Amino acid sequence: METLELGKIGLLIGFLLVIVGFWGILQQKNIIKIIVSFTILNTGINLVMVALGYIKGRTAPIIDDSVEQLANHNVINAIVDPVPQALVLTAIVIGFGVTSLLLAYAMKLFRAKKTLEINQFNDLKW
Amino acid sequence: MVDPIFIVVAALGVGFLIGILGKLGKTFTGLLSLLTIAFMTYVSAGWLLAFYSGSQVAEVITTAGFQAPFSISLLMGYNEAFLTTIVNFMGLLGGIYLFFNFGRKGRNAYVVYIVFLMGLNVVIMSRDLFNLFVFLEITSIATAGLILIEDGNRTVGAGFKYMLATSVISSIFLLGIIFIYFFTGTLSLEDLYNNANLQNAGGAIAIFLVMVAAILEMKPFPANGWGLDVYEGSHQGFSALISTATATASFYMLYKILLIAGAAWNYPIALIGAFTFIGANLFAVKQKYARRMLSYSSIGQLGLLMMIMGLREYLGDNLNFIVVTVLLTNVLAKSGFFWLIGMVKALKLKEWAIIRRKPFMLFLMGVFIFALIGFPPFPSFFGKWEFIMSLAKVGGFSWIAVILIGSFFEAIYLFRWYGMAVKGEDIYDNLEFKTKLNKLIPVGIVTALLFIIGYFSAQYTEAGAMINFIPFIFVLVLFAVDKLPLMVKNIASIAALALHFYMIYPNLAGDNLRLIFEVIFMVGGILTLIAGFSYKGVRRGFYPVAILMYAGLTAIIEAHTTLGFFYGWELMTAGSYFLIIRGKKSMPHALSYMLFSIAGAYAILAGFSIAGIGYTDFNLDILNNIQYFPNWAYGLLLVGFLTKTASIGLHIWLPGAHGEAESDVSPMVSAILLKAGVFGVVLTLIGMTKSDFDLSTLAYILGWIGALTALVGNIGAVFQEDAKRLLAYSSIGQLGYIIFAFAIMTHLGWLTGFTYTINHFMYKAVLFLTIGAVVLRTGTHNMYEMGGLIKKMPFAFVAVLIGIIALSGVPPLSGFTGKWLFYNAVIEKGWYFQGTIVFFSGGLAFLYLFRLIHTIFLGQLKDNHRELKEISIWFLIPIYTLIAGLMVFSAKPQWVLQPLGEIIANYFPNGGLRWDGAFAYTQLGHWTGTGVMITIATVFVSILIILKMLTRKAHKLEQFDVVFSGERPERPETTHIAYNMYAGFYKAVWPLTLPYFEKFWEWATNIVHETAGFGRRVYSGNGQAYMLHIVLFIIVLFFITIGGSL
Amino acid sequence: MLRNFLIALVLASFGFIFLNLYNSYEPKTELTGIAAHYAENGASEVGAANLVTAVVVSYRSFDTLGEITILFLTAAIISFFLKLSNEDENKVIIHKGTSEILKTASQLLIPLIFLFGVYVFINGHLTPGGGFQGGAIIASGVVLAIMANPNMTINHTVIVWVESLSGVTVVIIGVLGIILGGGFLDSTLDGYGLGEFGTVFSAGTIPVIYSLVGLKVGAEISNILNKYQKSQKES
Repeated sequence: METLELGKIGLLIGFLLVIVGFWGILQQKNIIKIIVSFTILNTGINLVMVALGYIKGRTAPIIDDSVEQLANHNVINAIVDPVPQALVLTAIVIGFGVTSLLLAYAMKLFRAKKTLEINQFNDLKW
Repeated sequence: MVDPIFIVVAALGVGFLIGILGKLGKTFTGLLSLLTIAFMTYVSAGWLLAFYSGSQVAEVITTAGFQAPFSISLLMGYNEAFLTTIVNFMGLLGGIYLFFNFGRKGRNAYVVYIVFLMGLNVVIMSRDLFNLFVFLEITSIATAGLILIEDGNRTVGAGFKYMLATSVISSIFLLGIIFIYFFTGTLSLEDLYNNANLQNAGGAIAIFLVMVAAILEMKPFPANGWGLDVYEGSHQGFSALISTATATASFYMLYKILLIAGAAWNYPIALIGAFTFIGANLFAVKQKYARRMLSYSSIGQLGLLMMIMGLREYLGDNLNFIVVTVLLTNVLAKSGFFWLIGMVKALKLKEWAIIRRKPFMLFLMGVFIFALIGFPPFPSFFGKWEFIMSLAKVGGFSWIAVILIGSFFEAIYLFRWYGMAVKGEDIYDNLEFKTKLNKLIPVGIVTALLFIIGYFSAQYTEAGAMINFIPFIFVLVLFAVDKLPLMVKNIASIAALALHFYMIYPNLAGDNLRLIFEVIFMVGGILTLIAGFSYKGVRRGFYPVAILMYAGLTAIIEAHTTLGFFYGWELMTAGSYFLIIRGKKSMPHALSYMLFSIAGAYAILAGFSIAGIGYTDFNLDILNNIQYFPNWAYGLLLVGFLTKTASIGLHIWLPGAHGEAESDVSPMVSAILLKAGVFGVVLTLIGMTKSDFDLSTLAYILGWIGALTALVGNIGAVFQEDAKRLLAYSSIGQLGYIIFAFAIMTHLGWLTGFTYTINHFMYKAVLFLTIGAVVLRTGTHNMYEMGGLIKKMPFAFVAVLIGIIALSGVPPLSGFTGKWLFYNAVIEKGWYFQGTIVFFSGGLAFLYLFRLIHTIFLGQLKDNHRELKEISIWFLIPIYTLIAGLMVFSAKPQWVLQPLGEIIANYFPNGGLRWDGAFAYTQLGHWTGTGVMITIATVFVSILIILKMLTRKAHKLEQFDVVFSGERPERPETTHIAYNMYAGFYKAVWPLTLPYFEKFWEWATNIVHETAGFGRRVYSGNGQAYMLHIVLFIIVLFFITIGGSL
Repeated sequence: MLRNFLIALVLASFGFIFLNLYNSYEPKTELTGIAAHYAENGASEVGAANLVTAVVVSYRSFDTLGEITILFLTAAIISFFLKLSNEDENKVIIHKGTSEILKTASQLLIPLIFLFGVYVFINGHLTPGGGFQGGAIIASGVVLAIMANPNMTINHTVIVWVESLSGVTVVIIGVLGIILGGGFLDSTLDGYGLGEFGTVFSAGTIPVIYSLVGLKVGAEISNILNKYQKSQKES
């Protein structure tokens, strides 16, 4: 059997996490669990992003001695793609902001009805 | 020009600083924030002006000192300048509106608000896909925060649902972005347009993911429950911004991404837009709460914008104009509306009756409603016009149908609401509302802008630039001076009509066809306005709307273009709606009038659009040479005009609307307004005579419609107890004659038609004025509650007598002229069967006309009427002026008929009357109006003299010399047969009187309501269900668009 | 029932979409597009050894400004969202004391954590790490402090000043980029400030910006924590 490359493994696990996340946000009734599912979903996407930047046999995009050893100072042949990593950084921070706001909402919702069942919050409808 | 990056710098700099400066107090923070937003507006508006003046070229703003694609760049082009100006300006107004609300939440609320606007600016300007994502998230988070400036469980729930939905959407967006980067190695939008590396299966999926996310931001049907909840649940001051500023930015973001996705996505976008537009407006019909209803409306507008975007390749040069007008109307009217709701605070639609306590607010509400539906002079009127005209030229008839049906649904609920506000019972003592200055200013500004931009939109097309706006401006002036005494406004109105007629007379002097109608409209207008002097006090709101109707009527006559015609038509509809709804019990009738009118107007619009195929301009002459689908074009136009003339099936609005109107309004809307429909029918038929196509079937059908309308109207009139409704039904019948006569399509037929038209104008004005004046005296519409008024009101009696003689077509008055011409025309044409129906209807007319005299003026005077006086002199003046006109027309018909014959000869050169002095000849015989008049007068006078001599010794019978045989009559029907007078006849014809058409329309209404009621249940209110809708939307769209090709 | 079926359908469909994406995935063998440009020119143009930092703080610094804004925004929203009434604000809740081990350890660890956080953001352009990471580490120190001593109150004024000033300074440095360099947020200031490659004082304004970001992020996360902690007082 052909061994899976690291990039492909990352991609597959990332997709799996995304699907698990979607399952959670669609199936779970507890608001906190839904929020956790969102973070799983985001983690999956982040993993996909990093995996897409992966290039086999290369090192982190930091120009230091390891780069020199790998490709004799030819940076372009030594490192993995730095852009997805930069994007992931941004995505993580955004995810943090969204999650903390969601949690704040969860607190407010709980204070309002003393429950975290999402079915209980359908005052506005039709 | 200030570098647009300073929008970001200013917003963030001040935002960060407020943390420290906030200690200086809320007012300071608030003012600083407003100043910042004002600066942002100044920057974007500066660019907009530069682009507008034409010298500016689009400028790329690079960040970090590197060029794209290596760094993130922003673009400030014409589009961006326009859209950011909208966002910032609305943000400024919204900031003023929410000033104190933010203050209550502390300084951070201002910060969030500024950052929210900044985020929207960048979403519009950004040229980098990932940057778009980041700033979209900023606006989403800021939105989720600003929702909370209003407290309450519903608000928190709505905000949470919003966060759930946007989180799902942004996840999908991010997934798409990273794969686009993977396949292309770039994130710059410029590099992504037509990028060859995306031409594979993976690329298609990546594009799909970003595309579907951008679509979902536009709240497509049915994955938009969260959007509805946010509009409804958050503070209305902020809902105004989500539905305008955010919508604007989302719209442009979708556009930018659509350019990556390519032309294959145009059709899906248009289709989604169409579903959203119809779905949202349909579901809104069922709403009882103002906020939610408006939320549906907002989403409908987003659908319309998506449709425009998807169809943009068909719109050519007009694209920008259409987008700008539709977008601006939505932005201004919708924000104004949400702000209005925020002030009035009435939740249920019927509670909106309280808005009447402040008439200015009622005016604003009217402006917003008419603007949203696309009435002139608001920008969307011109935008929708160009949109539909352009679509017709490329054969997009189903799209036209979608726009018109969706707009019609919108009209249903908005006008129902407005009716409740204008006329609903204000029984809500517990509700009150305040109008603070900081809230009123933004609403006032958007209202003013709607008018100003509407004016400039009109200048865009040649046809629009020809529109004379002076009458409309006069209407606005009348609105402004509405507090003045009635006397002043009435004199001013009459003078305005007279002056206008004097001024345009030279233009019409050579065009007798138009002159006739203009005389009916203007002279009729002046005469009916004179009756208004009998009212006391101020009579708020009457004069602006009456003049609005006359402004529309004269615009119809003066129009040289289809656009100008339609402009007048819509003004007239709006004005007459307001006139009709003034009646005490008019609320439902005004609504049905409006809905039929709008549906008719849309038929006319569709007709014009088909007529315009193959032409580049909108000259009205194109009706004379319609090149494609002539049966459809003429047919739609006729249906539209027949709605106004209340032809069979489309007539059910008329009895209530005319019957319940005020005493001097009934003659306006009956004698005068109906002629606008006749004018339209005549214009269409003229086109049909000139057409190269064989359209005889259409004319034949029209003839039947006319005949059956005559029957239905007159039968209806026979069984009325309400005098004004009787006259209203009679109008339906009379208009049926007119339509029938014109449909004959011969010289004599048209001569009959014109004669009937002029006649109907005069006698119906006389009758409605007189009966209306009598009703004002007696306080009832029911004829059986009147009686014996001949001695109290002899002048009224004589007027009614002359009116019914003219109407029934008995010699010597002009009705007979019409009848004589009519039979000549029918026999000549050979339409015997239809002619018989009309003849039978004429017989019915005697039945109901008799009642007017018998029941009102003869018989017993009612006890409570003993003190009544003659009807007001202000009514008698126009009545007797019109009677004088009738007499002249009857005695000297040739004065009118000869010029008419000359007009008609242009279209039907043969088969006219041959005149020999006062004698008119046809191939069937001859007749003389003067001779008949003299003969009848002689006979009448002789008999009178003989009777006088014979009855010299007769005992004079007092009115109450009646023996009741010891019975004391309590109920009216026991004294004489005034009540249910034709009970016997009813037994014979009752199947004809059943309300078939009413039932049909009721059924249609129910279908709409049931569908809406069932469909809207998809919005269960559960945030999780909304997420499921979103992912289902994604999946379904995936398999429809690219799923099959993988 | 229908719901479960629909959810299963959705998940299966997503699986199908992802499978197609996976099938179209060809592992990269070399850098392409903008990444190649960054690898080749990053060191000379920006002067940062850590190319991720070069991308984050220089090339895509506008995104990073957005990131800071998001954190700032979240903190601001939570502060008025969870705002307490005056009555609640003055309420004093005495939490149960925590274990001695935690208290003692925290006294030892917190300075080290802060120091480590500072190290991470100051060296963000040289080694893995940066402002966000450093800020998060500092905030984790704050979490530890709160856990060790639940009754402590965080000095709100200090947080606000740090947050505001660092944010404003970042914007000012960005504007300096327009004046001195090639555009808003130009970290190189037109090449004058690049310094010697690989040292702390190099890469233009990147270390400054990252330090400010670190402070700001630390302050903001602490601020959010503070609000959460305080909101327990809400009745």
